[in-house]
Amino acid sequence: MEYKIEKKKAPGREEVEVLGATFEEGKPEGEDVGKWRQKLESREDKLKYLKSGERYWFSEDWFGSEKRKNPA
Amino acid sequence: MAEEKENKSIDQISIELIEKAAKDGVNTAFDRAETMKPCPIGSVGSCCKHCGMGPCRVPLPKGKEETPEEKQKRRGVCGATAETIAARNFIRMVAGGAAAHSDHGRGVAELFLAVARGKAPGYEIRDEQKLMQVALDWGIEIGDRSNQEIATDIGEKALEEFGKQEGELITLRKAPLKRQEVWRKQGVTPRGIDREIVEIMHRTHIGVDQDYKSLLQQGVRASIGDGWGGSMIATELQDILFGTPAPVLGQVNLGVLKKDEVNIIIHGHEPLLSEMIVAVAQEPEMIELAKSKGANGINLSGMCCTANEILMRHGVPIAGNFLQQELAIVTGAVDAMVVDVQCIMQSIQTVAECYHTKIITTSPKAKIQGAVHIEFNEHDALKSAREIVKTAIENFSNRKGNIYIPDQQTDQIAGFSHETINYLLGGLFRASYRPLNDNIINGRIRGVAGVVGCNNARVKHNEGHVTMVKELIKNDVLVITTGCNAIACAEAGLMVPEAAKEFAGEGLAEVCEAVGIPPVLHMGSCVDNSRILIAATAMVKDGGLGDDISDLPVAGAAPEWMSEKAISIGQYFVASGVYTVFGVTWPTTGSKEVTDYLFKDFEDMYGGMWAFEPDPIKAAQLMIAHIDKKRKALGIDEARERVLYDMEMRRELE
Repeated sequence: MEYKIEKKKAPGREEVEVLGATFEEGKPEGEDVGKWRQKLESREDKLKYLKSGERYWFSEDWFGSEKRKNPA
Repeated sequence: MAEEKENKSIDQISIELIEKAAKDGVNTAFDRAETMKPCPIGSVGSCCKHCGMGPCRVPLPKGKEETPEEKQKRRGVCGATAETIAARNFIRMVAGGAAAHSDHGRGVAELFLAVARGKAPGYEIRDEQKLMQVALDWGIEIGDRSNQEIATDIGEKALEEFGKQEGELITLRKAPLKRQEVWRKQGVTPRGIDREIVEIMHRTHIGVDQDYKSLLQQGVRASIGDGWGGSMIATELQDILFGTPAPVLGQVNLGVLKKDEVNIIIHGHEPLLSEMIVAVAQEPEMIELAKSKGANGINLSGMCCTANEILMRHGVPIAGNFLQQELAIVTGAVDAMVVDVQCIMQSIQTVAECYHTKIITTSPKAKIQGAVHIEFNEHDALKSAREIVKTAIENFSNRKGNIYIPDQQTDQIAGFSHETINYLLGGLFRASYRPLNDNIINGRIRGVAGVVGCNNARVKHNEGHVTMVKELIKNDVLVITTGCNAIACAEAGLMVPEAAKEFAGEGLAEVCEAVGIPPVLHMGSCVDNSRILIAATAMVKDGGLGDDISDLPVAGAAPEWMSEKAISIGQYFVASGVYTVFGVTWPTTGSKEVTDYLFKDFEDMYGGMWAFEPDPIKAAQLMIAHIDKKRKALGIDEARERVLYDMEMRRELE
């Protein structure tokens, strides 16, 4: 999916680029209601999502019970 | 008389149709359960019929304590003790259940491979993302390979898991690391799905394993091969072929039948053929054919877990759960009931003979005398589906005048796969279980309960399910559900977001409102209990709630269980560290030692254990007490003072 980049003024800085809204505008109707997986179109997007969304199994970039920030 | 009939179900529609069946002179499971009481010896696991010297009955003495001498004599002809006999019977139930789920999984894997090889026209890979997910899970190369190439490797690997002789199932890698260690320590890591089931049949043959603890350990091993193996393979591959469920609106109960349309009910458990029937029923030629016979269209609905499968992915309405299969035919409006495997009463053919309904069997594994058999051929599935739909259409004009369709159905939102829950809680940018864990830690949600299982004609239809679930959500326990429990909850109106306001405790209702979910989440069919295992694993891995499923404030239940599959499911819940309460009856009470081992000793070994409580409110309270015990162990049982950190305090943290 394409992420929207918005330009905003930051305190003490010039305009900065920030990630815009990731939700779809409006109310989905008909066949599309609830079908979120179709938003990921390319294989690259899907693999990227797996690395972040399903990070518990497919990424090193997370902290949790099996990867503690401060080992118990 | 009317009062007596009312006691058979809590569902008004079912009550009306039970009354109609009586008027029409139709005998149903409700009548048979009344006239035939369960065998008191078999029901407690004290009857052994594994050889020709028996059946041997070894019941506990009635109304008095057993002396050591009496206990010594309480044996079968071969000398098998009551403990051995109860454990044998119990794990044979596990074997039956694990075999049913896993053979389902094998069937899916065979079709999956045929699709990958281009030998199953009509099917396709609909969920590339899930394909990638399973490929990553199983270490299959993705690179620039085509979906077909990847799927071929996945299909071959899946089929290998059934016949594997050594090592560990590949799917076990999904489990929390600590849980995998528990299984290795206990020596119950399954080597191959089929092997563990076959070994149960060997061990329970006369004169083999005669140590109840050893027998029960093998039951654990086979059940893990079911939940984390055969069932999980079924779920994963079905998702790739038919799509991972996402939220969908559907309707439930017998009011979904339509008087002016051809009604086809798809009943059983596998989505392989039903997916094709869903597609064929929308073909213009079929709709034209239906119109030419005087119908206004074709109305598909589901029954039992096939219903859950096609609801989760297409929003096809559900006609009812296990105990409603005969009642659907009693409406007089069902033109065909198409069945595949599992939980199909033989009596539907007898009931169908009183009306005009055609029972169509489709699996070579599940035929019924007197029924029409149209075999499902995966290599030409559309042809099988078209023949079935045409048979139903042709039967429309044979309807008799005696039709009654209750004018009532209930809305439900289904489609809560693990992937969808994860997405709903964090969005595409950072899907996560964090909000769930945070709300458990802060106490808005007290815990999570997996309530699943069948209907049982020995108790009032749906009462155990609905009463237990209402008690749980009232006490801020989020319920995740599958199978006939899911259908019961939907019929009771618990599966719409607004149900949170009416039935849930304040904390749970707040979270449901914020996320926009019902307090009871429909996760699918009975093989989809594997989704519950994955959701629990995600909760563990996300952190803050311990290191293993057994640390989580969660519990499981099957308040109206009846099938061997339910025993296998319960056993793999327990083996995964979940406290699991069953209602209705318990099949090992003929042996105190066996029952204690399952109910007490298993907690030390697996962190999860069985319990039996037929009263659904008391059972829910047991689950809540266990959840509270786990909250206390985690140190989240009391609300902590909230401190607002200023910048100086934050710097000190560094």
